[in-house]
Formats: sequence, C-alpha cells, structure tokens
Amino acid sequence: MGTQVKDVIIKPDAPTTLLLDKHADYIAAYGSKKDDYEYTLSEYLRMSGIYWGLTVMDLMGQLGRMNRDEIIEFIKSCQHECGGISASIGHDPHLLYTLSAVQILTLYDCVNVIDVDKVVEYVRALQQEDGSFAGDKWGEIDTRFSFCAVATLALLGRLDAINVDKAVEFVLSCMNFDGGFGCRPGSESHAGQIYCCTGFLSVTGQLHQVNADLLGWWLCERQLPSGGLNGRPEKLPDVCYSWWVLASLKIIGRIHWIDKMKLRMFILACQDEETGGFADRPGDMVDPFHTLFGVAGLSLLGDEQIKAVNPVFCMPEDVLQRIGLQPELLS
Amino acid sequence: MAESEEEVDVLVQRVVKDINNAFKRNPNIDEIGLIPCPEARYNRSPIVLVENKLGVESWCVKFLLPYVHNKLLLYRQRKQWLDREALVDITCTLLLLNPDFTTAWNVRKELLQCGVLSPEKDLYLGKLALTKYPKSPETWIHRRWVLQWLQKECCPHWAERKEPTEGTHGNAERTHQNERLQRAVQDEMRVCADAAGRYPSNYNAWSHRIWVLQNMAQDSLKVLHDELSSTRLWVSMHVSDHSGFHYRQFLLNALVKELSVARERVTHLSGSDPHRPRQQQPNGDGTASPTEDHPWAAIPQLFHEEMELCTDLIESYPGHETLWCHRRHVFYLWHHWKRENAQGSARLTPSVNHTDPLLGGALVSPAGEAKNIQAMDVDCTPDASKNGGYTQDTKRLKRGPLPPYPGLSSEHSFISRILDDRRSPEQIRFAAAYKKWLDTVVGQ
Repeated sequence: MGTQVKDVIIKPDAPTTLLLDKHADYIAAYGSKKDDYEYTLSEYLRMSGIYWGLTVMDLMGQLGRMNRDEIIEFIKSCQHECGGISASIGHDPHLLYTLSAVQILTLYDCVNVIDVDKVVEYVRALQQEDGSFAGDKWGEIDTRFSFCAVATLALLGRLDAINVDKAVEFVLSCMNFDGGFGCRPGSESHAGQIYCCTGFLSVTGQLHQVNADLLGWWLCERQLPSGGLNGRPEKLPDVCYSWWVLASLKIIGRIHWIDKMKLRMFILACQDEETGGFADRPGDMVDPFHTLFGVAGLSLLGDEQIKAVNPVFCMPEDVLQRIGLQPELLS
Repeated sequence: MAESEEEVDVLVQRVVKDINNAFKRNPNIDEIGLIPCPEARYNRSPIVLVENKLGVESWCVKFLLPYVHNKLLLYRQRKQWLDREALVDITCTLLLLNPDFTTAWNVRKELLQCGVLSPEKDLYLGKLALTKYPKSPETWIHRRWVLQWLQKECCPHWAERKEPTEGTHGNAERTHQNERLQRAVQDEMRVCADAAGRYPSNYNAWSHRIWVLQNMAQDSLKVLHDELSSTRLWVSMHVSDHSGFHYRQFLLNALVKELSVARERVTHLSGSDPHRPRQQQPNGDGTASPTEDHPWAAIPQLFHEEMELCTDLIESYPGHETLWCHRRHVFYLWHHWKRENAQGSARLTPSVNHTDPLLGGALVSPAGEAKNIQAMDVDCTPDASKNGGYTQDTKRLKRGPLPPYPGLSSEHSFISRILDDRRSPEQIRFAAAYKKWLDTVVGQ
C-alpha cells in the first residue's frame, strides 16, 4: 500500500568527493564549444549563463581562466539606450539580465564600464504604484523582479533610488499561510520565489517580517529521503532547489534544521565524473546553471575547498566585503 | 552534412513557408511536436501535417532554428529589413521551436500594437507552443500581456462610457466585444487545464489561471463556483499535483472574501440581519442582491465539502504529501474564518439540539467563544432538502445531530484513525507531521 515517494535513489558508485578541477575545466571549456544549435537555443539567457559560469569559477578560485576583456566588451554592447541590459546583443533589455550583468561587473570590480546612472534609472522606472516591479517595459509583475531590482541597486549602492517601503509592502502581500512566498499575491509558495523574497527582505533589512519558524518548517519539509531538496511538495529533488532552499534557510537562520550531511551526499552524487559539472539529479546531463548551484550549495554547507558564498547574492563573500555590502541574515 | 550556406538558405526558407502554409491549410492545428528523424528522407518536406497535428522532423531543426533566430536578431539590430508578414512568419517558426525567446514575443507585441496581428491569432500560437512546452515561462508571460491588450481592445473607454444613452449600434458592439472577451477567458481556462495535464504541478499554468481570475473574471462569484466544481474531478485524478490543489485553496479563499463582501453589501443596503439563518442554498450565479438570501452562509458548507474530499482522497491514496498540505491549508482557512466570524454571532442563542462534540472543544479557551461558534454553525446549517443536494447530510439531519463541521478535535480523531492503519509508512509520517502542525501552528 502507499505510493513510492517521489525521490531518486543514489547508486553506490555515485561520486562522494568533490571534483573541483573537473568542474573548472568543464566551465572553462563551455564557452568555446559554440555548437550553433545549442548556442542559439540558450542565447535568450546568455548574460545569466555568463554570471553562472564566472561565479562558480570565482568560488573555485579560477576566475582568472575566463576572458575578462571579452566579457566586459560584451556587457557594454548589451546596455540599451534606456539603461537596461539584455541577455545578448540584439535582444531586448530586462531586469533579469541587468542584475546578471551588474553581478558580473561586480565580480570584476568594474561596474563603471557601463552607464550606472542609466541602470539605476531603468530599475527605478520599472517600479509600479503598488511597489511591485515589472521585469521590463512590457509590464510583467513577479516577486523575482522585486529581488532583481533591489539586488541590482544594492550592488550599485543606490537602493535609495526606489520606494523601498512600497516595494516591501508588495513582497509581503505575496506571503502565504505556510510562511512561503509566490510570484504574485495569492500564488503558490515556491522555493525559487521564496529565495527571491527572503533575499529581497534581507537586502532591504526587513527579515523581521518573515515568520522564520513557519517558513523554516516548510523549507525543511523539502528534504527527501535521498537528502536532496525539492522546490514544492511531491516534486523531485534538484540541485538548484537545493541551493534555493538552503540559501533561504541560511538567510532566515534555520540552516541547521536540515540534514546537512545527507544533502552534501546528494549534491556530490550529481557530479559527472567524466565531463565535470553538476546535473539536476544523479546521472542527468550537466550544465553551468546546476554546476554553480551545486558548488554554491556545498559552500553554504561549509566545504572549505570552496570560497564562502553569500546566500543572498549568490556571489563570493569576499567580493561583497570589498564593496562593503553585508545583507542582513537572521540568527 | 556538407550543405553550403546557400543550400541551407533555400532549405530553411522553404521550411518556414511550409509551416505557414500548413497553418493556412488547416486552421485547426491543435498540437505541435518534433518527429525524431536524424536524417532527411528523400526529397520530402520536414513538415508533416497529420489530422490536426503539426510535426517537424528533427533533422531540420538544427538548420532552421539558427537561421530564423539570427534573422530576427539582425532585424532587431536594424541590420536587415523584414516586412511585417515576414516577421509574423519568422516569429511563428522561431517560437514554436524556442518559446522562451523573449525578444521574439516582444516583436509580436509590437505587431499587435500596429494591428498586423490579432490577439486571438497570437494567443493561438502560444497555445500551440504550450502543447510542446507546457511550462515555458515566456509564453505565459506573453499571454498575460496579450490578454490585457485584448481587454483594452474590447472595452476601450470602459470607465467613460455612458450607460443607457448610447445607440443600439453601440450596445450591440459592446455586447459583441464583451462576448469576445468572455470567449477568450474561457479559452484561457482550457489552455491552462491542457498545460496542467501535460506537466505535473505546472506552476506557470496554475499561477496564470489565478491571474486570469484576478484580472479578467467579470462575474467573480459565479466563476469561482464554476472553477471550484470543474477542478474537483481533476484534482481527484491528480493527487500529487500540489499546484492544482493550491488553486482550489485560492478559490476557497477568494470565495470566502467575495461572499463576505456580499454580506457587507446586503447588510449595508437592507439593514437586514446578516446572522439570520439562511433559507436556501446560494444559487451561485453571483447576482447577490439585497432581496436574495445570504449567500455567505454557504461558506461552512464549502469548507466542509473540501475537507470531506480531502479525507476521502487521503484514505484512498495514502502517502501523498500534496493531500496533507491541502488539508493544512483548508483547515487553516476554515479555522480562521470560524474565529473571525464567531464574534459576529455573539448575540445569538446557541441551539439546544445542536451539540457538536467535535467542534465544541475545538476552539480556544474562553467558553463564551466556543459557544458563539456553535451558534454560528446553526446559522450555517446546510439546508439540503431544498435543492436536492447533499443527501447524506439530509439523512443525518433527519437523524438528529448536525453533520460535524471539522474542528481541532475531529482533526485529531482523523489523525488517530490514520495512525492506527500502519500500512503506509509515508502516510504515518505525513499524519504525524500534520498533528505537529496542528499543535504548534493552529493550536497556539
């Protein structure tokens, strides 16, 4: 009787040690393999792809292997007249890629290569009357964009450009009975949105508005017998959700509520021993996105071979220290 | 593959044309898909139309996608001119292959703005893309924009319109536009349901459906009731689909709010006693008026039915976390509603023959409050005999005691019953977690 829990079984021969060199080689080689088809298919998120790759390289102490000048030139050519930045050349600007670009330039300590005032103006103009943020000029509203807006401005030291109180009010209106958050008021709680909302409240210094015990409860229930975390009830575990749930728990000071050792084993099992890189689940195809969140997750779990990662910005702590940014965390 | 650039050009242009011709030939295409086929066969077009299904042979995609992708980007950078018709065709092919290409959707928004594309035609493309990519966030985002555009088109100066003075022509046109909008809303619900069936716990599909209700539903009480009944069977057949159940939680919550607004209105307009026992079931047509009896009295019945559904599903399909999460939320909503509404009925005398042992002790300490809640439940006695529904309840009514509305103690009995049945370890785990949740979150 009963149904099998939706989970994976980790095989006994799954990797149990961290293969850092393999991952660095995988990321370093990724950009050079520009298969036309694959490259086109993912070009709509190129800027975020670069952020994932560079951040994981920096966390592994290998940022020097990436082509700094080429990337900076690329970002410059993605800034539009309106100040917003697009995923790639010829694409339309969007808050998602504006944040990724600002994160990359912060890693490289050169935000001034773009027109920062214009970026600030772009973000400011996307705030709506109710405090929410549109992702771009077409007006889609989502708590993800609230996070992108404040994270971008905080990295630029310009959080004062927007109405923070109103922005907070909107995000709090998306809080649910389970302590979680959804994309808009009334939407289902979702680990990715929770990460954005707790991150948002951290950046704006409003974490006391979270019901940390209740939210922590929901987040802990994401851990499955395999040790991996899912993003919603009865979904499969996934390395990227492991990051979003774990980072949220860290932000609200409840990371000790989950079984860290089991999660570590799950993340390690998602490595590909041959190609390097992490997949969403053991045995699946690797990609830079899951590689960043695998490595960042291990960092939050205290792996000392990796630089300390900041749970709010998903960037190395030393980078944030350099710019004097210390987002709030609950203890 | 040693095709020269010109050969690829010719090939791709032909395929784009084939795709668009297929749509012209059959305006009822209802699904798209990729046909696994690593090599080109004979000299046949890679576009296959069988009944209402449009297939693309996989070998051509690696030529087709980069070609249309680059063409659109060149246009976007003003390096190459494309006329409007070509843009419609190219974005169509492009988005069927890669529906998360935001910029291509944006080009279509511009085509809509200048009247080259109709909202319905564009929504149709998105619907097809969702048959293959039911999660595609950008497709859903674009749909919301188009629906808002359509809404503006259908009621251009909605606020400024003078009601009865307009001519018959104006009225007919308004009716026509209104029907058009309502058709789009109904279509949208179908698109959501289809996408929800194609991918489990489809967050984007279900949150879109919520958005449609929040932004486009006109007669919200009726729509909410309809949605609640139309998703009942669906969730019963998808007991792992948390998003589907969350949608019902949203509906319940929205109904409670709407019905409470209706109550305010009735009280305000007629000065009638909002706590008077109800005479009839709400007909659910949303036309709450001062003359109609109190539709909010349906609230306890709604919760009662949802809890019964949940009990039934938990017992039939043990070990589903989704069902237990649903129970938490429904009970939480009900518990709070009861608490909030207990005060209002304070002056009613508790009915002597109504003893609900499962409810009585359920609510927090002050004895008076518990009493009030009992009184409230008298208000809400489901009067099933009038509309022929709820026969079980009718039988129980005739037997004497009223059906027990869920309370903390009935929940604890339910948990004990589940814990006694040791067949499913998952079920035991979820029941224990629910008990803990009741004790710490609700029972505070």
